[in-house]
Amino acid sequence: MPRKKPEPSKTSEQDNWREDASQLSYEEALQALDVLLSQLQDDSIPLADLQKNHARASIYLDRCDLLLSQVEQSVRQLDPNTMEERTLDTSNNE
Amino acid sequence: MERGFAPRFVIQATASRPQVKKGHLWLTLSDGEASITAVAWASKLKQLDFVPADGDGVTVIGKLNFWSARASLAVQVLDIRPSLSTVLRRFETVKAKLLEEGLIDPSRQRKLPDYPKRLAVLTSVPSSALADMLRTAQERWPLSDLLVVPIPVQGEVASIICRVLSRLAELHDQLGLDAIVIARGGGSREDLIVFDDVDVCRTLANFPLPVVTGIGHDDDLTVADLVADHRAATPTAAMVTLMPSKESAQQTIIQRRKRLGEYKRWRLEQANSRLKERQVQLHALRPAVALDRRRNQWTQRQQLLRALSPQRWLNRGFAMLHTTNGQPVQSIDDIRLNEQVQIRLKDGVVQAITETIQANEITDSQASL
Repeated sequence: MPRKKPEPSKTSEQDNWREDASQLSYEEALQALDVLLSQLQDDSIPLADLQKNHARASIYLDRCDLLLSQVEQSVRQLDPNTMEERTLDTSNNE
Repeated sequence: MERGFAPRFVIQATASRPQVKKGHLWLTLSDGEASITAVAWASKLKQLDFVPADGDGVTVIGKLNFWSARASLAVQVLDIRPSLSTVLRRFETVKAKLLEEGLIDPSRQRKLPDYPKRLAVLTSVPSSALADMLRTAQERWPLSDLLVVPIPVQGEVASIICRVLSRLAELHDQLGLDAIVIARGGGSREDLIVFDDVDVCRTLANFPLPVVTGIGHDDDLTVADLVADHRAATPTAAMVTLMPSKESAQQTIIQRRKRLGEYKRWRLEQANSRLKERQVQLHALRPAVALDRRRNQWTQRQQLLRALSPQRWLNRGFAMLHTTNGQPVQSIDDIRLNEQVQIRLKDGVVQAITETIQANEITDSQASL
């Protein structure tokens, strides 16, 4: 008798979403969130997907929150002759 | 004789016939009434930020040279700067040229990125303008990466700026840039003349990414500002223009989180309400309810039938006449003399025999009907 393929558990599904979201920029995460929000407003989405969409939207919200809590800006300097990047020496700028 | 003059003095004059001979710049300075030869020695010429064209108004810091062998006087140029009128004339000339080329046109201005991932900041390094911009960027949107590109921002540096801009235009994709800022801190309007350079402005106008300028003070306008996609009044304002506000983004996230909760609750309430509607419908379709409905219909018809019964005419005093075999008698033609008939009244039946039959007399008015 063929074995039924096990369905992915909710936890592993959410882990995957979380991993995907961690690659997104603020703008991308916000766009993904807005898509889900508009789907949640749409009557045609089955009720069974409501919880799933809500959980996924929460992950994108958390991603945006995390990015906004970032405090250190990445500042590099480009050598105008070689066009190579290096660390900016800001000691003289303060 | 040189000792009779101040060691250094300032002359405001018009430069005419500037020419380089053996590496030295020779020109004539004139105030409209008098004129004198001036020379910028080769060693000084290399350090000058500005080399005048014929007819340019200039401010010269110089000292007097006297050649006793020729008995001639000349101004030795220590520094030379364009006068404001020269700067403004160049601004108007270049502006007119670029307007004609279609490079100054509001319709060419591109939308700035909403959330720039990486920006190139072209300015002098180190400088207070850069420090201000980095501080503003940090406060406003630390999510954007900044790539600082040092450029000279004063003097005869147009070719250097053009070269850097061209290289950046080639590599912008590889560097992952979304926009560039070209900035210079305050100073006199004359110090900003490089941003009126026709080649610099053309390169900026044709740059493949949106360009924001933050040059000088609020009231300084250069041609670079006119060809840019957005002109900010100062370097700090340029960063404010390009970067979203972290505070307002945090508010956006709070609002989205609220909406997310509301949508879920709304959908569940909606589903619940639909379920209740169906429960009401199902209740209305129960067999007992259907039976009740049919019983009501039967009762209504029964009442109608009663209302239409001939008995109600009998109750009002009318009578019905039938022959013995039950046929209703409606006309004298339906009955004969000495025939037995039944007279039905509201409370019983009378058996009778016809003695006479007499037709109604037809009046004129009846006959006409």
